[in-house]
Formats: sequence, C-alpha cells, structure tokens
Amino acid sequence: MASIVRPSLLRQSALAARSGVAARSAIAMRAAAFHSSSKKSAILPPGPQRIEGGVNDPAPIPTPSAAHGSYHWTFERLLAAGLVPLTIAPFASGSLNPTMDAILCSAVLIHSHIGFQSVIIDYIPKKRYPGLRKLFWWGLNAATITVGIGLYEFETNDVGVTEAIKRVWKA
Amino acid sequence: MIAQRVGVTALRRGPAGLFAQLPRAAALQTRPVTTSKISQEDGHQILVNQRLQRPVSPNLGIYKIEQTWLGHSAWTRITGCTLSGAAYLYFTAYLGAPLLGWHLETASLVSSFAALPFAVKGGIKFMLGFPFAYHFINGLRHLWFDLGKGFAKPSIKKGEMALWTSSILGGLFLAFGL
Amino acid sequence: MAALRSTSSRILGSSLRTAMRPGAVFTRSMASVSEAPQEKAPNMKTFQIYRWNPDTPTEKPRMQSYTIDLNKTGPMILDALVRIKNELDPTLTFRRSCREGICGSCAMNINGQNTLACLCRIPSENASDVKLYPLPHTYVVKDLVPDLTYFYKQYKSIKPYLQRDTPAPDGKEYRQTKEDRKKLDGLYECILCACCSTSCPSYWWNSEEYLGPAILLQSYRWLADSRDERGAERRANLENNMSLYRCHTILNCTRACPKGLNPGKAIAEIKKQMAFA
Repeated sequence: MASIVRPSLLRQSALAARSGVAARSAIAMRAAAFHSSSKKSAILPPGPQRIEGGVNDPAPIPTPSAAHGSYHWTFERLLAAGLVPLTIAPFASGSLNPTMDAILCSAVLIHSHIGFQSVIIDYIPKKRYPGLRKLFWWGLNAATITVGIGLYEFETNDVGVTEAIKRVWKA
Repeated sequence: MIAQRVGVTALRRGPAGLFAQLPRAAALQTRPVTTSKISQEDGHQILVNQRLQRPVSPNLGIYKIEQTWLGHSAWTRITGCTLSGAAYLYFTAYLGAPLLGWHLETASLVSSFAALPFAVKGGIKFMLGFPFAYHFINGLRHLWFDLGKGFAKPSIKKGEMALWTSSILGGLFLAFGL
Repeated sequence: MAALRSTSSRILGSSLRTAMRPGAVFTRSMASVSEAPQEKAPNMKTFQIYRWNPDTPTEKPRMQSYTIDLNKTGPMILDALVRIKNELDPTLTFRRSCREGICGSCAMNINGQNTLACLCRIPSENASDVKLYPLPHTYVVKDLVPDLTYFYKQYKSIKPYLQRDTPAPDGKEYRQTKEDRKKLDGLYECILCACCSTSCPSYWWNSEEYLGPAILLQSYRWLADSRDERGAERRANLENNMSLYRCHTILNCTRACPKGLNPGKAIAEIKKQMAFA
C-alpha cells in the first residue's frame, strides 16, 4: 500500500540492506556462454529490427485479392478433399482407367505445386529476399511444367501411374 | 505503514541495522547521474539505433520439441515434400532418360526392384508408405479442423497420438503387408 | 508484515502442540517458545535465465544461473524472478505487473513453453534447472523483455473497436441478444500477452506480414460481434495470402494460451466465414 508513497530514502536503505544479504549468502551465481540463439537462426536470419512509422501508426494492410485469399483456400481444400477418394479408388477397385489416372495425376500435380508454393512463401519472405524468392518461384513453375510433360509422356508411352505403382509395389 | 516497513528491514538486517542504516542512507541520496535534454527526434533516433543492435530471441532451439520439430503440421509438410519431391525427381528424370540413356520405364524399374533383397525392398516401400500414410491421415485431420471441429485441447493431444501410431502402422502395412 | 505475522503464529502453534502432548510438557514447552521453528532442509532450485544488455550490444546473449531456496520463495515462477532480482541480481530485467494473470506483462518462455510467469508454478517434482527465455523470435530489448511494438501496430491495423453506421434503434445503446453475446465468450478474455503469437512458427518466419493468432483472435472477436457492421470490410482486409492464410493449423497457439482460449479455433472460424460469407 505504502510502496507508492515510500520516499527514496527508504528505498535506498532497503537496497543497501538487500545487497548486504546477497553478499553474505553463499548462493552461487554463474554465467554460461549462450549457444542456441545465434547458431540455429543462422538460416534465413530476420535481420536487424526496423520499424516503419511511429508507434501509433497501424501496420500496413495489403490490397485485397480473393484469388490469393479465400478463393485460393477454398480451391485448395476442395482439391485436397477430392484427392481422398481419387487416391483410394484406383487401388481399391483394381480397374485400369486412363481417364481416372489422368485426373488423379493432374490433381496431385496441382496439389504438389500449391504445397511447394506455400513452402516458398513461408520460408523465403518477399520483403527480405526478393531476388531469391523470384528465383525459387519461377524455378518451381519450370519444375512443375517439366513434371507435367513427364507425366504426359509416362501416361501415353508407359502403363500409367497407378498401374506402375501397383507393379513396382508387387515386384 | 512506513514506520513498520523500516522496522521490518531493520529486523532482517539484525540488531545493529536500525541505527547503522540511517547515516548511510543519507549519504546515498545524492546520485552520481547527470541528465541532458534532447529533442524528440533525437530521442527517436536513439531508439532506432538501439533497435538495429537487438538480438532475436531463440526460437526453434528452445521451444518444446513436440510442438516444433515433431509437430503434426511440420511433418505433414515434410512428408508431402518427400512424396512430391520424389515424384518430381522421377518424372523429370523420366523425361530426360532417353537423352541420358537411362532406363526408367516401368518394366525395367520393376525388374530392378524385384532383384533387391527383401529388407531393402521393405525399407524403400516404408520410406514412401509412411509419408503417404501420415500425409493422408493428417490431411483428413486438417480438413476436419477446417470445418472448425476438434479444437479442444484434449482432442488435439489424442489426435496427435492416434496420428503417429496409425501412420506408422499404416506405413508398415504398406511396406510389408501388401 | 505478513511474514512476521505468519512466523509468530507458527511459533505459537508449535508450542501449543507440544504443550498438548503429555510427558513433553515440562521438558520442552518452554524451550520451543524461545526457539525458532524447525528449519526445513533447503530446497535449492537453479534458474537459467537469458541475459542480454543493450548497453553492451556487441556482447552475445548468454544464460546466467541463479540458485535459490524454494522454501523461502513463493510457488510461482514470477515469485522466483522477483526474489532473484531482490536478493541476487538487481540488474535482471523483466516485465511484471498484476501477478495474477490479467495484465499479460510477464509472458515469457518457461522450459520451452510460452506462458505467463505469474500463472506458472515452479516445477518441484524434478531437480532439473528451470530455463527462462524471452518470448521466442522477438527482438530483445533487455534480458526477458521483448519488443512488442510491431505486435501492437498489427493490433491497431485490425481496428479493434465497434464500427457502425446506423444509430441504435432506441437511440440509447446497441443491444444484443444473449445468444449473440455468448458468441464473444472465449474471445473477449484475451489479454494480448503475445504468448500464442510468439509460439507460432509461421509468425516467427513472417511476423511482418502475417498477423498471428492473437491479432486474428481479436479480429474474429469483432467479426463475431452482432453489433459491428463492417464485417465485409474487415474480411476484405484479410483477403491476401499473408495476413490470415499463413496459418497452417499448427495449433501451438491453442496449447500456449495461458488463459485457456482457443486462437486456433477462432482462426478456423474466420477462414470458414471468408469462404462462405
């Protein structure tokens, strides 16, 4: 209660008393070199702290774009939900259906592409590493197109993905 | 109250404390600190400069391992990237195979895979079967989360345990049971 | 004062107890009044605390160990911190205020888990050291004090207040049914301690653009409020791939919240609203 109005004289005397206690007690105080902070965060470090604007300015709000927001999210979930029956059906039914195979392959390809995209968005921030971000982004696009062509070749010249997995698994 | 507090401090220090303290405290009252007035901009500049020096507190190195390195979301990503990465590598290689003279068609793949010993075959199948089982099961779990369900703390914990056991069992079944 | 009172009552109590026992009355009752109560064996505990001083910025952060007797300390981590600062090292710096989990000042990482020091008991079942770090992946002002400036700026960006264009029908106050009011339970209790946001790996990597669980929970608090009329605008501000959709349902936020709230569920509700509204 009285701590608010306690004059500085008393606070000082209390401090003196405390330091006396600390000196007399045989309590150990050790300091160890610190390891885990600087080393572990060395991958993609966040860099020195810079804050734009004053303390009372709100953080900037990005321009709205549903294609990157809710539409993207809904599409991703519908695709993921659709993949559940698509992955089970061909192996469960045991029938070889090229159309189903093509649908499964393209769905998995888009699903993978979105997954890799979100990995890049998460770990290579646009603001901090704009060049690296661009490199990975377009690298991924190129890889997905290459894989798409590879899949097309495989589907047309080989036995099809589900049949191939089946054969290798049973080998 | 103030008088009582003095009494308490003095009691803590022992019998001599009450009297020995008074002149010492009086001597301490002059502080060897000088202050100078600076403008608001200069003050802000000091803060900005101090911010540039600040370290980032430890994160992955110190946070509970079951919530970071063993977290379900991280492993969904790891397993997904394993499967998709393997598929990306294979189909890129398949496209380039004729140029490089490799044989990656199903027929030659099946024959070379069949020649491997049982343990190696099972190991390779598990390396693909476990990620598939994990990604599949946790994918379902995430779809359930996206419906706004299953967020109670006990059910999160139970789900995590069920996820690991079922996906390891599933991976073993895919590797050795088929 | 409290300390004095309790010891004196303990002395009285013990003397009474010995006096009750027949046989011991004459030999021990006098002695126990003048003697101090039996000292318990010291229960020492070591606290390893993250230290960094802005006055010597080139020095790397380090861990410093302090050993104190738990018998002389209160039950909570904050009690131990206050005791260390009082008796061992006055330079140790941390935020604290209410000591009862309502101000959110003493949020820190205790043994790898973000929580409030005032609500976290000192683990006494094992002898291992207690490790105290500032909130993870924040810029450190000093020792256990993180800089939350940007966190508050993000809070401001979601306009955390009632926005209406139409006046109240009765011209007095904006009324709400009991059911509508119930929707705010589990949302309005948030004290913005930042335990959840700084437990989220997604927020660690993208705290400049991703809002983080605490701010999104607050965002949902206003989206769920039946009296607020700017829901569409609030949702539009989240329509991008960073602000909301960096949430991957990791659920560290729900596990970290010292108030027992569920930021993970709140974010899921926002995503549902965004998809279907």
